[in-house]
Amino acid sequence: MFKSIRRSWLNGLAVVGLLLAACAPAAPTTGSQAPATATTASASTEVTTTETTTTTAAAPTGEFKPMSLAAESCDYGGEFKSIEAVDALTVKMTLCFPDPAFPSKVAFSSNGINDADYLEKTGGGGDLIEHPNGTGPYMLSEWKRGDELVLKRFDGYWGEKAKTENLIFRWSAESAQRLVELQAGTVDSIDNPGPDDFATIEGDANLQLKTRLSQNVLYMGWNRSYAPFDNEKVRQAFAMAIDKDRLVKNFYPPGSSVATQFMPPSLFGFTKEVDWYKYDPEQAKKLLTEAGVLPGFQTTLAYRDVVRGYFPNPGTIAQDIQAQLAAIGVDAKIEVMESGAFLDAAAQGQLKGLFLLGWGADYPDATNFLDVHFGPGASKSFGPGFEDIWEQLKGGATHATAEERYPFYVKANELIKEHAPMIPIAHGGNAIAYKADVEGAYASAVGAEQFALMNPGGRDTFIFMQNAEPISIYCADETDGETLRACEQVMQSLLSFAPGTGEVSPALATEWSANADLTEWTFKLRDGVKFHNGATFDANDVVTSYVAQWDAKSPLHKGRAGDFTYFTSLFTAFLNAPPAKQ
Amino acid sequence: MSVATTPIDKMQLASPNPRSLWQNALRYIFRQRSAIVGMIILGILILIALLAPVLATHDPIKTLIGVEDVKKREPPCIHILGCPADKPQHFFGTDGNIRDLYSRVLYGARLSLIVGIFSVAFAIVIGAFFGAIAGYLGGWTDNVIMRVMDVLLAFPSLILAIAIVTVLGPGLSNTLFAIGIVSIPGYARITRASVLSIKELDYVTADRALGVPAMRILFYHILPNALTPLVVQATLGIAGAILSAAALSFLGLGAQPPTPEWGAMIGQERNQVFTAPHLIFFPGVALILTVLGFNLLGDGLRDALDPRFNR
Repeated sequence: MFKSIRRSWLNGLAVVGLLLAACAPAAPTTGSQAPATATTASASTEVTTTETTTTTAAAPTGEFKPMSLAAESCDYGGEFKSIEAVDALTVKMTLCFPDPAFPSKVAFSSNGINDADYLEKTGGGGDLIEHPNGTGPYMLSEWKRGDELVLKRFDGYWGEKAKTENLIFRWSAESAQRLVELQAGTVDSIDNPGPDDFATIEGDANLQLKTRLSQNVLYMGWNRSYAPFDNEKVRQAFAMAIDKDRLVKNFYPPGSSVATQFMPPSLFGFTKEVDWYKYDPEQAKKLLTEAGVLPGFQTTLAYRDVVRGYFPNPGTIAQDIQAQLAAIGVDAKIEVMESGAFLDAAAQGQLKGLFLLGWGADYPDATNFLDVHFGPGASKSFGPGFEDIWEQLKGGATHATAEERYPFYVKANELIKEHAPMIPIAHGGNAIAYKADVEGAYASAVGAEQFALMNPGGRDTFIFMQNAEPISIYCADETDGETLRACEQVMQSLLSFAPGTGEVSPALATEWSANADLTEWTFKLRDGVKFHNGATFDANDVVTSYVAQWDAKSPLHKGRAGDFTYFTSLFTAFLNAPPAKQ
Repeated sequence: MSVATTPIDKMQLASPNPRSLWQNALRYIFRQRSAIVGMIILGILILIALLAPVLATHDPIKTLIGVEDVKKREPPCIHILGCPADKPQHFFGTDGNIRDLYSRVLYGARLSLIVGIFSVAFAIVIGAFFGAIAGYLGGWTDNVIMRVMDVLLAFPSLILAIAIVTVLGPGLSNTLFAIGIVSIPGYARITRASVLSIKELDYVTADRALGVPAMRILFYHILPNALTPLVVQATLGIAGAILSAAALSFLGLGAQPPTPEWGAMIGQERNQVFTAPHLIFFPGVALILTVLGFNLLGDGLRDALDPRFNR
């Protein structure tokens, strides 16, 4: 099967190559266009046996052959109906249902645009993973695995050139070490200083602290497939048992707030009408006793010992929750798990006890929080979903204006409170610290700072130290925040989030528009953009980059692990997805 | 003039109560300053461990939120040393979860002693048994047992302990077990070596000639005489076991929160080494003193019991 696909793909490539040779375009900028057209052929030959049709439209000028991919129908369950290059600098995306958050999703780092030629060359994996070829202000110089990631200024950048010649990423999991490095002047900026170090940094004239909006949430979850969490009354009782004020007051840095619902207050989807259960340990104890859970309930409290904006002191917070549970008679044994194993166990619904996990905004909209956790496509971490919540979320996601959407989210948040699939605990304030002489220093609400805009006191190298090493620089197939930040410097999406404010703003697309019901989105692309390898950016690069993620049968749908997790969480489903494993 | 003579049989040629090896050793130990210091430290430590509930000012696992007006990671406050009287007194300050650090360090002594003594006791029982069998029986039994011990010795002990705890799951009892397992080969080797030399002595040959059963010879007549080096090794081994347990707890594999274990306390607050150094200092000092105590005593015992040392 695989062999035949590959052969037909190669045949298509050869045929189009010959056609192109015959046409012999006069324009000199064929570097990126010829291979891009080849991708069209690959996509068309690749998907003809499935429910989709792909067309290579007649080229209007004889040199640009616009690519497109269309699903035959929306029955496959995903958001995209078609993606097409209208002309060299126009891309049209048609959706199966209205999506007001679409520009935010398009701006997200996982949707960075690759050169179609390069994607083809790497086969959607291989070199692409560690040797990116983007359009960003920095390009890869050298990646010393386990040591540092060195980026250098891309002189062909379309916008304002990076202010430093080099940008170096370093990493350390220990906040004390990061602070020492910043104080010693060996790095220009550190991410996530320890909450107790905020005062130290603010009191140091050589340093500056920039706090981020707390667009995140820490929650204590449980899986309702397992007793006693299958009982709604038990879940509601636990929902009253945690003193969140005490946690935020004692263990969170300034700028944090108590979570009254899953949505952070600064994002659309937060509904002030909804408030969480009042803290009432006596009532919780009573309800748990009535339900037969107490006395003598033993469980586990699992978490990963990884500092995140929503979880500034994992061990300390977990121990306080353990103490609070002990106060109502629940014996929770702390279980610290390895990060990857913990996330997998949660996602696969294997955690039978309580667990502490959180979520940070990828783009500022309710869909990024509520749909991901409580929608029909959510992971199994809370057990089976709730259909009445799905209904409200669908209503919220498919209406156009904020006024129309809001009532759905009020209802959704109320239902989440009622069903209590978890307890939202806190929205953590977090920060990034810089040396005082860094000009243009800011904190991105979604943790995606653009270091190209910063001038570290005239030095030619900006050194940034974060929590962990990036996993790769092909972010279509990554979910890790440390990885996404590195991608942001090298790769660009059609749109971006404005520094500081987080508003969606132009990047590789200069303007975008939608039809009245928000199902047809047209992006006008920036002219004269070059990739790091010198190729010219055009609409086919956009189509190829999206198709590589969208079409599970595309030969380019490879990535590092092949999960493309963000694509399904943003756009619901892959085209031609293989049948679910039993 | 006559010279009074004393009959030779009444002369004191030897002390009427000859001192045993252990009495000799004890006398010698009390002459050594470092061993005395070791014993004093350990004496205090044992007292602290026994009297922890009396000496502690607070419950070691209870957070003081809402109980007292204290913040997390507050430095020590001792009234007689000038800390304002209106502030609650905490000799070692408070930790990240607003618990009294002094009480936690005191209770930590219990855990460290328990882990050290029990894991070494476990290792001695198993190690000495197999070492004695191997040494006495020789042949293929010796080969099999000692090759197994060699395999255990081939792994760095802490790494092997980590592996064992990872398989069994973190927790104090599993830590104790893991440290015990990795200590076995040391005791087995020492016992085997002693048994090998003792079994050639005449009194053992005599036993054999009299038809005493082999196991009786081994466990009643040989092993008691092979204990000396084991005791020395055990005293030093307790120090190592306490350190290993602290290392495992530091890594999150040993004692689980909220248990007040020194290594875990240091591990949990390792990032506050600059902002709240007292949280690392006090458990660290407690650990150092304990290990120092066992090492000094162990060295003293070795010198006292080893006939090769000239006195």
